[in-house]
Amino acid sequence: MRLTTRSAALLMLPATALYALFVIYPTIRSVLLSLTDAHGVIGGSFVGLDNYREAFQDPQVLAALKNTLVYTVVVVVVQNALGLGIAYWLYNSPAVRSIARTGLLMPAMMALVAVSYLWSFLYSPVGGPLDAVMNALGLHGLETSWLGDTHTALMAIAVSYMWMYLGYTATIYLSNYLSIPADLMEAAALDGARGWTRFRRIDWPLLAPSLTVNMTLSTIGSLRVFDLPFIMTDGGPANSTQTLSYVVFEDSFKDFRFAYGTAVAVLLLVITVIVGVLLTTVLRRREVAA
Amino acid sequence: MTLTAPSTTRAVSPAPADTAPRRRRRLRSAGSHIGLLMVTLVVVAPILLMVKVSLQSDADFAAHPLSWPSHWSLHNYVAAVHAMNYGRSLYNTVLITGGAAALVVLTGSLAAWPMSRISRRWTRTVYQLFVAGLTVPVFVMITPLYMFMRDLGLLDSYASVILAEAAISLPFAVLFFTSFLRSVPVDLEEAAAIDGAGPLRTYWHVILPVLRPASATLVITLTLAIWNDLVIPLVLLTSDAKQTMTLDVYSTIGTHAYSTSQLLPTVVLGTVPLLIVFLVLQRHIVAGITAGVSKG
Repeated sequence: MRLTTRSAALLMLPATALYALFVIYPTIRSVLLSLTDAHGVIGGSFVGLDNYREAFQDPQVLAALKNTLVYTVVVVVVQNALGLGIAYWLYNSPAVRSIARTGLLMPAMMALVAVSYLWSFLYSPVGGPLDAVMNALGLHGLETSWLGDTHTALMAIAVSYMWMYLGYTATIYLSNYLSIPADLMEAAALDGARGWTRFRRIDWPLLAPSLTVNMTLSTIGSLRVFDLPFIMTDGGPANSTQTLSYVVFEDSFKDFRFAYGTAVAVLLLVITVIVGVLLTTVLRRREVAA
Repeated sequence: MTLTAPSTTRAVSPAPADTAPRRRRRLRSAGSHIGLLMVTLVVVAPILLMVKVSLQSDADFAAHPLSWPSHWSLHNYVAAVHAMNYGRSLYNTVLITGGAAALVVLTGSLAAWPMSRISRRWTRTVYQLFVAGLTVPVFVMITPLYMFMRDLGLLDSYASVILAEAAISLPFAVLFFTSFLRSVPVDLEEAAAIDGAGPLRTYWHVILPVLRPASATLVITLTLAIWNDLVIPLVLLTSDAKQTMTLDVYSTIGTHAYSTSQLLPTVVLGTVPLLIVFLVLQRHIVAGITAGVSKG
């Protein structure tokens, strides 16, 4: 079937129209809205960059920016390190591979809402299971109100997020492992490369494609984290778990400061795009080199 | 200029013999397998614990937080099914998820076909536009989307959620279908053309059937994402009668006083349908997760 330009355009029309109406148009409107003083349905006169100026002096936004970046760095580093370790383990354990992968993927099938509540329950300071486990291990001293302490709340949320997506990350690394030609691994074994040497010389460079995918996915995912802090801590205690998405939602749909909330959202978009492009450029170059 | 000649004298050294006797090696690998299963168990433990506690009364749980409950009871579930109006939220969720998934598969495959076959500047531009959509966080468009739906008179309708979820899912679908079709030879389509089939007939009788495995994987991935989404339904739906299951779990958490025996059954009820889907269709889910790597 030779597709003519006209039929090709017609075939592409429904998806493009749907996407343009409900994704591109709102995104462009978003940028314009952030330059006004819209407050719910009221307002809408042009105020230039005032919202952005205000955002950069707003302690709530600055705290959210810091929390989001700290959260993202921790999640990306730890989740990828653990995911890679688990994938290595899965790769070298063919006998139990499929059952282990199934179990590890189960949390990723849950709604973030469900995960949020499940972990609030695990962390609960009054007779919560985590404290019960620590008691049983004789670690009374370490018990704390995980979500109620400004020092631990953000990391407690990060742990539940990583619990959810660890299997997902590991599955992507594993699929890359399984695509490495067997004779390459055999040749490495013949040359006496095993353990750490084999990992560093063979596995690590050849895993470059999955590293790119995983780093990009986990970065984009954790930069926009919303459900977990929204439900587990409602941004508290003392702003310590407010993320950029959380601030956008609060400003827009609790305080109805549509324009201001949207300006924060545009900041989030800019950060996401910059980080995404940087990551992809650096990691893709590494793929080619490898 | 010094060239490092390939050393021909270096004998290919045989792999250093593994000195451990075979029995010890087998023991080591068994140990590694058991270790991996233990790690898996630790990851699954919170889910198992959740199910266990949801079958206990609060008093029973307080007395035995981690041990086997003294008696099991479905009592909590009966209450939760009533409180959630489980049948209705299941119906709403299936309707919204199914509607959006069908819309994405149809429009996405229609668009991916020319994108995978015609490489001109304008097709590439449209493709790039879809790719860019993968990085846009939903919060960037949520307020204008809300205002737009309000102007269209669609707020608090199934249609608003279906359209929004479908549009947001399209970038992944277009990428997924396009890369799949690129690996499919054009022979069948050309045979259809010789038989005199027009574009729509070819799409319906050749492309759609060829895409079936990709569509299955995509539908499952979309189901997971849309079923579990909180933000879009939270913003676009207001009436109780249209709540999705995830929204229902959320509002139950928000409105009830803290009681494990009330809330955990709700969470389990909201989670179990997809866990069953996953256990039955996990091959497709793993295919969906890994699609990005192999085709990357």
